[in-house]
Amino acid sequence: MQSQLSSNPLSGWSRRELLERSGIGLGSLALSGLLADDQNVSAAPARREKSVSPLIASAPHHPPKAKRIIHLFMNGGPSQFDTFYPKPEVQKLSGKPLPKSISDQLQRTQRNRVGALFGSPFKFHKYGECGQPVSELFPNVARHVDDLCIVRSMQGEIANHTPGLLLTNCGHSTLARPSLGSWMLYGLGNESDELPGFVVLCPKGLPTAQTTNWRSAFLPGIYQGTHIDIESSGKELIPNLTRDDIRPGSQKAQVALAQFLNRRHKNLRPGDQRLDSRIHSMELAFRMQTAGTDAFDLEKEPQHIRESYGDSVQGRNMLIARRLAERGVRYVQVYHGGGQPWDNHSGLVPRIRQLCKDSDQPIAALLSDLKQRGMLEDTLLIWGGEMGRTPTTQSGTKDVNKIGRDHHIDGYTMWMAGGGVRPGMTYGSTDEFGMKVAENKVELHDLHATILHLMGFDHRRLTYRFSGRDFRLTDVHGRIVNEILA
Amino acid sequence: MSNLRIVITLLASLLLHPAVGRAANNDKQTAFFEKKIRPLLIKHCYECHSEEAEERQGGLLLDRRSGWIEGGDTTKAVLPGEPDASLLIKAVRYSDENLQMPPEEKLKPEQIKLLEQWVRLGAHGPKIDLGDSEFSRLGDQEHLFGQAEKHWSFQPVKTETPPEASNGRWNQNGIDRFVFAQLTENNLEPSIGAEPRTLIRRLTYDLTGLPPSMDDVEQFVEAASQDRPAAIREVVDRLIDRSTFGEHLGRMWLDVARYADTDSAYRPDTRTPHYFPFAFTYRDYVVDSLNKDKPFDDFVREQFAADLIGFKPGDAEMAALGFLAAGPFANRDPLESLDDLIDVTTRGLLGVTAACARCHDHKYEPIPTNDYYSLRGVFASVARVNSLDEKKQPLVPGYEPSEADLADYEKKRAAIEAKVTKAGKSKAKGNNRSISQKIRETELAELLLFHPGAPARAMRVIDRPKPLEPVVYIRGDAGSPGDAVPRRFLKIIDEDQAPFPDDSSGRLQLAEKIVDPKNPLTARVFVNRVWGYLMGSHIVDTPSDFGLQGSAPTHPKLLDWLAADFVEHDWSIKHLVRTIVLSQTYQQRSDYREDGVTADSQNKLLWRGNRKHLSIEAIRDSLLSASRQLDPTPRGHAGKLWEDGYTKRRAIYGYINRFNLDPTLRAFDFPTPVQSQPKRGESIVAPQALFTMNSPFVIDQTVAITETSEFTQAATDEERVSALFNLIFQRPPASLETERVLRFVELQSRFTKPADKRRRASTWPLVAQSLMMSNEFQYID
Repeated sequence: MQSQLSSNPLSGWSRRELLERSGIGLGSLALSGLLADDQNVSAAPARREKSVSPLIASAPHHPPKAKRIIHLFMNGGPSQFDTFYPKPEVQKLSGKPLPKSISDQLQRTQRNRVGALFGSPFKFHKYGECGQPVSELFPNVARHVDDLCIVRSMQGEIANHTPGLLLTNCGHSTLARPSLGSWMLYGLGNESDELPGFVVLCPKGLPTAQTTNWRSAFLPGIYQGTHIDIESSGKELIPNLTRDDIRPGSQKAQVALAQFLNRRHKNLRPGDQRLDSRIHSMELAFRMQTAGTDAFDLEKEPQHIRESYGDSVQGRNMLIARRLAERGVRYVQVYHGGGQPWDNHSGLVPRIRQLCKDSDQPIAALLSDLKQRGMLEDTLLIWGGEMGRTPTTQSGTKDVNKIGRDHHIDGYTMWMAGGGVRPGMTYGSTDEFGMKVAENKVELHDLHATILHLMGFDHRRLTYRFSGRDFRLTDVHGRIVNEILA
Repeated sequence: MSNLRIVITLLASLLLHPAVGRAANNDKQTAFFEKKIRPLLIKHCYECHSEEAEERQGGLLLDRRSGWIEGGDTTKAVLPGEPDASLLIKAVRYSDENLQMPPEEKLKPEQIKLLEQWVRLGAHGPKIDLGDSEFSRLGDQEHLFGQAEKHWSFQPVKTETPPEASNGRWNQNGIDRFVFAQLTENNLEPSIGAEPRTLIRRLTYDLTGLPPSMDDVEQFVEAASQDRPAAIREVVDRLIDRSTFGEHLGRMWLDVARYADTDSAYRPDTRTPHYFPFAFTYRDYVVDSLNKDKPFDDFVREQFAADLIGFKPGDAEMAALGFLAAGPFANRDPLESLDDLIDVTTRGLLGVTAACARCHDHKYEPIPTNDYYSLRGVFASVARVNSLDEKKQPLVPGYEPSEADLADYEKKRAAIEAKVTKAGKSKAKGNNRSISQKIRETELAELLLFHPGAPARAMRVIDRPKPLEPVVYIRGDAGSPGDAVPRRFLKIIDEDQAPFPDDSSGRLQLAEKIVDPKNPLTARVFVNRVWGYLMGSHIVDTPSDFGLQGSAPTHPKLLDWLAADFVEHDWSIKHLVRTIVLSQTYQQRSDYREDGVTADSQNKLLWRGNRKHLSIEAIRDSLLSASRQLDPTPRGHAGKLWEDGYTKRRAIYGYINRFNLDPTLRAFDFPTPVQSQPKRGESIVAPQALFTMNSPFVIDQTVAITETSEFTQAATDEERVSALFNLIFQRPPASLETERVLRFVELQSRFTKPADKRRRASTWPLVAQSLMMSNEFQYID
């Protein structure tokens, strides 16, 4: 009976794969017989394939240094002065107003909100061979400082959350442009057959600016990010991934029956590549059921790994991020949480202490874990927010536990690791009070150009024609920051 | 960058541009430029301001004299002889905080002195001036208007006489004569007509979005064997008259109109979208208008200005204003909302991309930035009403809920009102909005949106008491107002550009300009949309872009003939649809032919029909239809598409959350309704297959189909297989297919253990689902 159903030669891979997973022999063999058709599919001209199967993996412009990105988004805007950028002058004059020469340069609206300079209450120490300073809030991340490339001269455009998030994610503060992750999928396709290529993890709600952060805008909707909140239990993480009223063997046999009909249908309609692609796509869907569930199942991780990340919201999300990256997801974005948790206008000291405490161990664990698996080499890890914070307090309060810092876009800090960036270096600086970029300004367009470069793209050539013009992530801007490349 | 390379580039340019090569005016000055100034510019400026780098930031080029004399977006960069008044000098001096060039680092004092000297001496240019080039002309509106004079879509629609076709059957419909002529020119023959079984399925789907019944098929096959043309005419008339016609074609328009039941943002504190509880009356207006065959020009007038052409609150046509009122960005971002209205108007109706002219003159199309702000003035003079304000949104007639629904609605409403009253003015912790407000925005809005007993109101707009006099925003920045412009139509279509009157927004005048029969774009754009919807490929492949950058028509004369015929027949959409589907071109077989594939693999010349994939709406409707679960009730409040308690009405009545588009819709190429959608693509991705494999909605239908009388009356397994094939494919199974299914059934029976207490899918629903998962179910030949 089995041989009757599968007269086509089997490819070794699919046979092994399917036999391993099959509950019964029949279904698996019938299914894998269909995979013989795959050869036709892959032989089709690339252009045709792309228009029909927009997620098919494709090569970038040049050999990439980074094959995937994990972007740890500290949404709200973390204070650089309390984390990665000590400012002796601010410490020295803490409690005093900004020198008049500096405050005179501020715009009027800004001037009214600026309080006294506020030296960080947290101690900085030098770490590693590179000797980069890190605040006591990140003791574990600090151990990895020789892997970090800290950029201290980030330049934003508009000092508010929504424009900052959109600029960081989509390259424009206001207009509806596709997100970096969508561009990535558009350019590279999906490496994973079984998982979405662009996954956004955000526990407990959505970040400010919501789904626009991972929108595809005018790119086809299939390139949009898939938002998954692993903390909200009971909801399906990927829609329609499984059904629980059928044994795997039965479903396999059922899919085989559908594919039998599909082959007959296709044979009567020669020449239509789409019909092949759909047969292929159903095979993928079938495999996705197992893999998609597996990626989110932390029970599959050894105890010591789970412990290293910690059983916390941040720990679980970072670990899932690694599992996804490992399975070929191109771009995983991990927001700290819904809303804008790092937006510490008041109560900065207790709040940032907590935020760092929550994320320090998981981030350090992620760095170690990626390194141990040899994945850090071609995984670009990015840490940062949509802006930074002022060196000054925001309000008149003297109570150190109530003090906060305002939004600041002129010289904030992000760091990167792995994926072709130079480890153990600091790039750029701000003036002595941290009010403005002093040297080596990095605009978001520059960051995007650099990220695309690391992923194998010339940012000027990754374009999409819409509404009569060729759009690109960096619009007419963007400089590759060669100085930070390894 | 070496000087040598520059020279080579210059020489190359010289060869490429015969008009180039103006002699330098003064050898000494030129030498000064080449020796002292050019190297400076190359080193510090050309990366962003030269043709060689393909960069023209701020609109400024510094590789030719015209570049600095004419300047960029702001103003002239150099005033010869006046260094202190020259922007370029100001920029290099770093005296203005907002204008510092080069941005990386200030030039050395001696370099700045050189530049000052150069300007003082007259800012002479290179020995070989690049002059005008394709690159420097980007955004040159004079040049683009010149191009537009020759561009097909801006020419009046020509009255074309269809050429004679040597083939009799292809000589009867104007469409066929044009298509046949182009096929003949390319040594191709058309394909023969599709088999009756294929054709009836194609017609029923294309005209109603639903499959034919088995009876429909058999009757048509019989009738076609007697008199095929008569049978086709008869069935087309019947299908076009069904109310399902508007429900199907209406969806095409809703894609263009970016229709949704919510705004594009959500409320972070309640985590709910900004609901538009009454947007559905606009959707119904669209469906009804198509079913009534409302002339397209009236259809447009009403959507822009129903309230200004005599309709009053209480008239059904007031719902047409939802076109303007139910767009995105209503609640959060007024600037984006205006941009959206300009975009949906110009791309949706005219096929021009005017929204690109927001920050500067359009780089590639004859759309000066002034035109953008003229249109903006119209829409900025129109006020939206709060989508939850029931008093300002008039009732729409024609909705009579059942008594039970009404009673249930009133009971629920009273309960919510009581909660609102009880909450009073108290506020939630850490939030400055009152609890009662939140209840209104969530519970009440959801009740209004979803409850069948809730009222139907028109989501209207109102002209502001005084129209706004627009000003241009330089570089799109509201903080840099520039010249005032009148509210008026696009220059490229309306050369005189008479200003719209002072006493209204100009919405009506705008609509009249759009549907003016002399407007070369509107009819062409619309007939192309309908053509593409029915044929599976468009005459102009960029349906929302007919501009200089858009695709050329595959059949320009046919497009003009269709457009003229459409207007001549009083903009009748049903006439247009009938003309298309009665053509031999439409009725061809969709099979591949070796000669056709070789000569024209993409079927641009239409040597065969296109095999079309069903939309997600048609797939959903077909699933419900096959299981006999489809509720044909038209109009009314939206229902959930997939979740528990989903509606069994057609998908067009499903709830569309613009803020967070349903993942199933997204997986099936349903457009994100944040902007007007030109056409849908067909992507093939695993989530589509997962939907048919695992969606509870699909599984429900697989069970329901085994409870239909057709299935339960079947006495044997063979008859059961036939019943399922009839219900799902509208054809009997081949013997090989029956055999294969029976083998599956037999195998499954071995696994069904009565002792197994877990819920198990039974065999026949699994069979039905295999059919529903198959390509045959989802493709129209």
